[in-house]
Amino acid sequence: MSFDIALMLTSFPQLLAGLGMTLQLLGISLVSGLAIAIVTSWARTTRFLRWPAETYVYFFRGTPLLVQLFVIYFGLPQAEFVRSGPWWPFLREPFWCMCLALSLNNGAYVAEIIRGGMLGIGKGLKEASWALGLSRFHHLRLVTVPIVTRLCLPTYGNEVVSLMKSTALASTVTLLDVTGVARSIVAETFAPYEIFIAAALIYLALTFLMQTLVSRLEARLGRYAQR
Amino acid sequence: MFEELWRWSGAFMQGTLVILLVFLVSLVLTVIWGLLGASAKLSGNRAAKAAADAYTVVFRGTPEFLLLLLIYFGSAVTLTALVKLVWPQTRFVDLSPFWAGAFAISLIVGAAATETFRGAFLGVDRGQVEAAQALGLRRLQVFFLIRLPQMWRLALPSFGNHMNSLVKDTALISVIGLQEIMFTADMAASTNSMPFAMYFAVALIYLGFTTIITLGTGHLERRANHFMTVSR
Repeated sequence: MSFDIALMLTSFPQLLAGLGMTLQLLGISLVSGLAIAIVTSWARTTRFLRWPAETYVYFFRGTPLLVQLFVIYFGLPQAEFVRSGPWWPFLREPFWCMCLALSLNNGAYVAEIIRGGMLGIGKGLKEASWALGLSRFHHLRLVTVPIVTRLCLPTYGNEVVSLMKSTALASTVTLLDVTGVARSIVAETFAPYEIFIAAALIYLALTFLMQTLVSRLEARLGRYAQR
Repeated sequence: MFEELWRWSGAFMQGTLVILLVFLVSLVLTVIWGLLGASAKLSGNRAAKAAADAYTVVFRGTPEFLLLLLIYFGSAVTLTALVKLVWPQTRFVDLSPFWAGAFAISLIVGAAATETFRGAFLGVDRGQVEAAQALGLRRLQVFFLIRLPQMWRLALPSFGNHMNSLVKDTALISVIGLQEIMFTADMAASTNSMPFAMYFAVALIYLGFTTIITLGTGHLERRANHFMTVSR
């Protein structure tokens, strides 16, 4: 057994061709996951939508992403109304099924993070805004959102890395992301160490990049906070 | 739909048992990697510390699925090469998906457990350790009698999450051919064309696992902190 550095180097351009898919999945799910999380956090404060929201978070945090993906990709087309509705052009595509699974999964985890951040807001702040005559909207925009953002950012950063790692499951529904390309090269060359380690290096670089960005943002948002 | 689920319930139960076994094996391994990693990080030995740091950076920064593939196919290549040295006519040897999978997911979650245990060890009062040393306890005794029992209480909340990650990561092992409930659902769906019901059943089984773990750790936490409450 030998470690073929040349093979590893020649595989990099091919693997990087899969990076576009990985980043697309990440970008779309990041935005829609955050949107879902914000809607869910709001729903949790209402009377009638509270239980649906709690059930959603409980289900998507308590089951593996791979199972959620298979329920969506293989399972949903079982229902006639899925195949006849206007959403069929999307749900037929593995790419959008993967995005849907990632977004719903990420949304549930981020909703839980936001809940934790909300606990960090004391009752006194609400009373203070009230005494200052701030409307509910202004209280939300000027007090709640900035504080919750700062409190949640470190945990949210971990969640973004976790989402990035989850995109690797895309190859189970035939998508050619970095891991998907790596699997197909290994199937040809049967050199798992060289190829998978090269892919791992790409992911590690992404992780490092995202961690750096988040900690920059943290430092920026926390510039007035006292240490 | 329910007749179909009933028809496959035996296979689902077998698959559930496989998940339980993988979970238990990898849980033991996770604790071992976590304790070794945390001890290395806290030790004065620079080489051990560097190795443990590299371990956590790599295993927390790379996708779980990719690491599983690397370990499964990598171990096959290595084992085949090793066995060929002794019996040159051998064509292919590999670890079973069960062991390769349990090993892989334990290493992945073990990296997270390393950080948890490290923090928990640091949380144990320094005076406790000094008192034990003053009483003449040996290093291993200090570790097992003083540090470990007190560190558990602090590690429990995060460790509950790690156990949930382990259970959920067992689903990945189906991709390399472990015959657990995802595999059962695949087979069932291909014969009865009810993929939604079959995969949803898998989701509910996993939900059962994670619910039990969450409730169980909550119970353990209350018990572990039982003597810590001053007054209610």
